[in-house]
Amino acid sequence: MSAKRCRRGEIELYRSPVTEDCEHLLSLFQKTDSVRFEVFSKIWKEMNFSHIFHGTVKHEKRSFSRLILDSAYGFLLPPFSFQIRVGGLYLLYSLFQSQTAAPPEPIRLALKDWEHVKKFEKDAMDAQHMDVIYILRQLRLQRAFHFSATPTRLVFRKLRKKESPALCENFIERASRPQELINIDLLEELTNVHDLYGTLKSSVSETSENSSVNLIRDDLIPQLRSTVMDFHKWQSRQGAADEDEDEDEGSGEGMSSQQECSRRAQLIASIKSKAYGEAAEARKSRRHRQVELDYTSSVAGPLGSSRSGRTKLSLKARTNESLLVLGDLYEGVTSSSTISQLCSLDFKPEDKPKDSKIKVLMKTR
Amino acid sequence: MAASKNANTNIPDYEYTDVNTNIFHIDSFKTEWLNRLQPGDVSFQPEDQDSSDALFAKEMGISADTMAELKTVCSLDSLRCHPEDQPPDPDVVPPDPTLKTLIQRKKKQDYRATLKISKNRHDLYADELERLTFGKKPETLDDMVAEGEIILNINVYYPATFEKFCYVRPHITVLMMGSHTLAELRDAICCVNDLQVCGEFSNMPDMAPDFISKDHFKSAFFYFEGVFYNDMRYPECQDTSITTIEWAKDRNFPTYTQAKMEDTRFVDLKIKVGFPYLYCHQGDCEHLVIITDVRLTHKDDCLDKKLYPLLTHKHRVSTQKCAVCHVYIGRWVTTNDRFAPSNPCLFCDECFRMLHYDTEGNKLGEFQAFPYVDRGAFN
Repeated sequence: MSAKRCRRGEIELYRSPVTEDCEHLLSLFQKTDSVRFEVFSKIWKEMNFSHIFHGTVKHEKRSFSRLILDSAYGFLLPPFSFQIRVGGLYLLYSLFQSQTAAPPEPIRLALKDWEHVKKFEKDAMDAQHMDVIYILRQLRLQRAFHFSATPTRLVFRKLRKKESPALCENFIERASRPQELINIDLLEELTNVHDLYGTLKSSVSETSENSSVNLIRDDLIPQLRSTVMDFHKWQSRQGAADEDEDEDEGSGEGMSSQQECSRRAQLIASIKSKAYGEAAEARKSRRHRQVELDYTSSVAGPLGSSRSGRTKLSLKARTNESLLVLGDLYEGVTSSSTISQLCSLDFKPEDKPKDSKIKVLMKTR
Repeated sequence: MAASKNANTNIPDYEYTDVNTNIFHIDSFKTEWLNRLQPGDVSFQPEDQDSSDALFAKEMGISADTMAELKTVCSLDSLRCHPEDQPPDPDVVPPDPTLKTLIQRKKKQDYRATLKISKNRHDLYADELERLTFGKKPETLDDMVAEGEIILNINVYYPATFEKFCYVRPHITVLMMGSHTLAELRDAICCVNDLQVCGEFSNMPDMAPDFISKDHFKSAFFYFEGVFYNDMRYPECQDTSITTIEWAKDRNFPTYTQAKMEDTRFVDLKIKVGFPYLYCHQGDCEHLVIITDVRLTHKDDCLDKKLYPLLTHKHRVSTQKCAVCHVYIGRWVTTNDRFAPSNPCLFCDECFRMLHYDTEGNKLGEFQAFPYVDRGAFN
């Protein structure tokens, strides 16, 4: 019995080195700033990653394949950035192809993750990443998936100590929390509630000159949308600034005709479509936000256009003051608690902080 | 996304992350999957590579040249880490590994090389079992498992009488199809308590009957999500769950319902994956039952219907040997026995008869003897 215990423990012992190896591979892939399979396979070969299966014997092969596929599966899903998810897909494909168990151990795909994978495929399609789509199709063609209920087998293993999942921070897409929180569903819901509340309010208080109806702001939803849009634009600009530095290094990789179009354009398109696929149509309501901004300083008028040159600064200032954080700007933006502040402060015109906000806004001008 | 998940409760999501899922209906789960997939995804037949490549090129609007290039880029050769003509031995860790996994495995391999015994009996059993279960094809098409059928992975744990239960969870794992009934699962569970023979037979050891407890006491039930599924296949079967239900009724518990084990298929069940449920037989022999996995069939599964329920893992329990010879597994247990070094004491059949009976088969001295089946007897 003790032998049994050791053996089961053994395979579990590999979990952390396996994760480390995968993360190492993906971090190298991330540095190249590419989503090409060619780049991935080059790193794979440099690391001799196929050898990871070597040295397993008999039935251990199968349990090890299971372990490593389960570990790698997580990289295919959010919250990781598009590039890491592509890397995760390549990793799964390569692991599946080079495993030593026969018949090969399949990749477990959970029903709840299907939508993510579908969306991922669509993003890749939109950005014309042929190799991504081809490999995904190839996996399906080879029946590499177990269509299952959960990503891993569950044995009600409750842990006394909560093992922190320790997701690799660098792989996670920058602060997608605002986008996540304020998605198209929420906006729709909000519109409904808003309309309902408006009609209710007006039906009740017909006589009283609609004074309480004035508490409702008609453009709450457009404003919310455009704020998130603005945040994303600012964020991607930050990202683009970083990218510009090492753009030249990574550009020597274009090879086949479908990849000749600008890599960077693809990358940006893919990131955008990934992060913003849902709220993309919010762009048209940008005008509202600018008007809205002016509204907060109670100056109505098309001031927005004159300020367009300094959007970044104003956003920075705006973010700064609504976060009420003096420290690192980026830190503040990513933390979730401040996001609620960002929203709530903006959208409660009767709140006291608004006054202070106006003052700050005045000051920054 | 969150809203759509809530709306559809048959898409399993975690109730507690990595512990168990929320409750869902297995048949609806199957339908959900099949609605999302194309028939090809669950087919057992391999698809033609060339035609699918052509389809892909057409769909994407790329030329044949580009397609060919894409294929080379994504081919397996691009992943090979060694020259084509010198494949390394996959059973040996390559020298000077850099991957953390391999460094650890190398240590293990070096340690193994220092051991005198190279083969572990448990490894042999596990290898054997794997050989028997993977990729079996039926002889006739009638026995073929249907495409898109549900496969359940069920762990049935041994009764928790072990001191070490906190560290090891001895269990058997069986694969079942969604179309199986719970009664078929019951028949697949082999518990040593079903095999015991009750009674004292010191006066006539040859007369010990062959009736085992399973034939005497046929009642059993499963418990899944508030429903007791009783075995009512035989006229002798009793409703053993009613005691619990009545007891719970008086004590303000949620009401439990009953159903028949033999009429309930797995696809009809509503369960949580990873959540412990109960199998109880012989009145009080209780096993935990955990459904660890629910998924669609795959072409590499065992496709022969007749081989299901399919045993894929069995915990081998250490056996208790005869107190005299220390070779054979105990078959008799005696009490108040003055020949025995302990009370109670285990004997194999041979030693038991030699020690306790003369050549004519007459009982020597006073003692009680009970037939005994070791829990590891069917390893």
